[in-house]
Amino acid sequence: MRPVGPTHAFAADRSFGAEVAEAAPARHRVRFLAIGLLIALALLSARAIQLAFSGDPTAERRGGFAAAQVERADIVDRNGVLLATTVRAFTLTAIPERVWNPPETAAALARLFPDMNRGMVMRRLSDRSRDLVFLRRGLTPNQREAVLSLGLAGIGFAPEDRRVYPQGTLAAHALGFTNVDRHALAGVELGLDDQIRRAGTEGRPVRLSIDVRIQYALETELDSAARGAHAASGAAILLDGRTGETLALASWPTFDANEFAGASENVRTDRVAGDVHELGSTLKPFTEAMALQERLTTSGELFDLSQPFVVDGNAIVDDERILGPSTLRDILAHSSNIGAARLALRLGGERQRAYLARLGLLAQPSLELARSQAPIAPLARTRRDIAGLGFGYGLAATPASLAGAYTVFANNGARVAPTLLMRTPDARATRTPVFSPAVTQQVLSYMRSVVTDGTGRAADVPGIAMAGKTGTAEKLGDETYAENHNFSSFAGVFPATNPRYVIFLALDDTGEGAAGGAVAAPAVARTLRRIAPMLGLRVEPRAPSP
Amino acid sequence: MGKAQLIRGLQIVAAILIVVLVVGLYKAKSDASRADAHVRQLHQTIAETEASNRALNAEIAHLESPAHVEQLAQEHLDVAPGAQSAALPERTMANRLPAPRERQTHP
Repeated sequence: MRPVGPTHAFAADRSFGAEVAEAAPARHRVRFLAIGLLIALALLSARAIQLAFSGDPTAERRGGFAAAQVERADIVDRNGVLLATTVRAFTLTAIPERVWNPPETAAALARLFPDMNRGMVMRRLSDRSRDLVFLRRGLTPNQREAVLSLGLAGIGFAPEDRRVYPQGTLAAHALGFTNVDRHALAGVELGLDDQIRRAGTEGRPVRLSIDVRIQYALETELDSAARGAHAASGAAILLDGRTGETLALASWPTFDANEFAGASENVRTDRVAGDVHELGSTLKPFTEAMALQERLTTSGELFDLSQPFVVDGNAIVDDERILGPSTLRDILAHSSNIGAARLALRLGGERQRAYLARLGLLAQPSLELARSQAPIAPLARTRRDIAGLGFGYGLAATPASLAGAYTVFANNGARVAPTLLMRTPDARATRTPVFSPAVTQQVLSYMRSVVTDGTGRAADVPGIAMAGKTGTAEKLGDETYAENHNFSSFAGVFPATNPRYVIFLALDDTGEGAAGGAVAAPAVARTLRRIAPMLGLRVEPRAPSP
Repeated sequence: MGKAQLIRGLQIVAAILIVVLVVGLYKAKSDASRADAHVRQLHQTIAETEASNRALNAEIAHLESPAHVEQLAQEHLDVAPGAQSAALPERTMANRLPAPRERQTHP
């Protein structure tokens, strides 16, 4: 290897040459270090250039702030009116060590919140072993201000979210409620829990099919009718029969969803989809339709309904004796149990049950509520059972199920399942064919007679051709049916000329003589007068009394 | 230019580059930190505004609720839902309207 430096040198230079020879590895190290540094710098520069020209690295993060996310989405009606939302609330807290005078502090807080347990507050404020204690949850901003104005030492607040229902009692059973931790407990809050949470993360509301204006009218008229009839409870539902959308559904008695803890279980029970009853004569139109569909009768057939009809030793009678030859129209208009029982027996239990299944009366209601009560529908084994089913006994179903069954009259014989979610204009509802259009039209004309000439005259509203059927089902006591405990109802379709809407209103445990035609039908008429303009229908004005 | 000078020059350039990069990095980090704090504050403000909005929307919905509007209508306008006045025949409407004012004539 060639030495570094001159090959010939003096002695002094020789020693220098030796130093040079010794310094050579050091220079190599410096050179390697310099090269390493340069490479590192080059890499850093390259990365800096890459970062400088590779777009906005914070773009994704900023995008994350764009949509305001909440744990639970707002619930709005079909017109965007707010039904449920989440607002900022506060938890009242205290640091016991900093509280000067626990008894005085507890007394001051108790004056502000009378329902507050003063003893419990005292205990917590005096518990110096804990750094922080919680005194009350869900304070509104105004309540927070009120506490702040007291100037209490050691008292503080922790922010939290609270679910509120701005409409108060309106649609309380349908909406349901959540607990203080915003866990759904009832209504659509629970029935649509996943959907509400998903919509919350997407920053969009959940839109129900309800219309608050119609809802309010239905609720106030149900309230008025239930109080007037001294009923134990009531239920009402209005559907767009073509789409299955529920425009309003009301249960009585009602409660404020914001104060649900103060309402009893009985008051909080949803009567539309969570309570079953024997529906009575409102099933008779279906019995006639089944018989017509199976060609077991014709519109011209004449029945003798003047005598009791004995089945298996039990006499079936009508409330009012119907004299002379009667047609199918008369059976419905005068609500003849005898006529309906005869038709049911011609049909037989098997076919009857198949039709009831297709009408959705043997299944849970399809509404998106937390609690959907399954029907009580034992097999009709005897002739008496089959005959009873013909006029609405032996099958207990919900008002929602019955309203769903009545959609056949708005869809040329096909049933549409009710929903609480608003459908998009282009969405097509699933239809279950049950009756032919001809049979449906025929029975519809008989139902119109019920309102013009029969038991449902009180449901008639000039200008709106209502077609319907009254129902007065005696309630089963310990062993027998009681005449003075009725489930009084009216189910209708309107306008009969071009059926679209289905309405059902029922009052539970009305007294003797409080027939559906006397207590439920007038409430339906009053409701229709109020909501007709909202549905684009025109009520013919009545001439003023002179 | 000698080799040693070149190396020294490179070393000086490298040192300057290192200093610039260090200072630049420090500045970038402090700027990013400030921006992050600002973004966080904005986020907080948005959340608070959003919460206020939600509370206001709830208040509006409560004030516009049918029950409240009906109560106001009864109190201030003496109008009740479903009242006879809502379905008057056309010919009788004149009876409910205020009488036409007589044209004032100046003497």
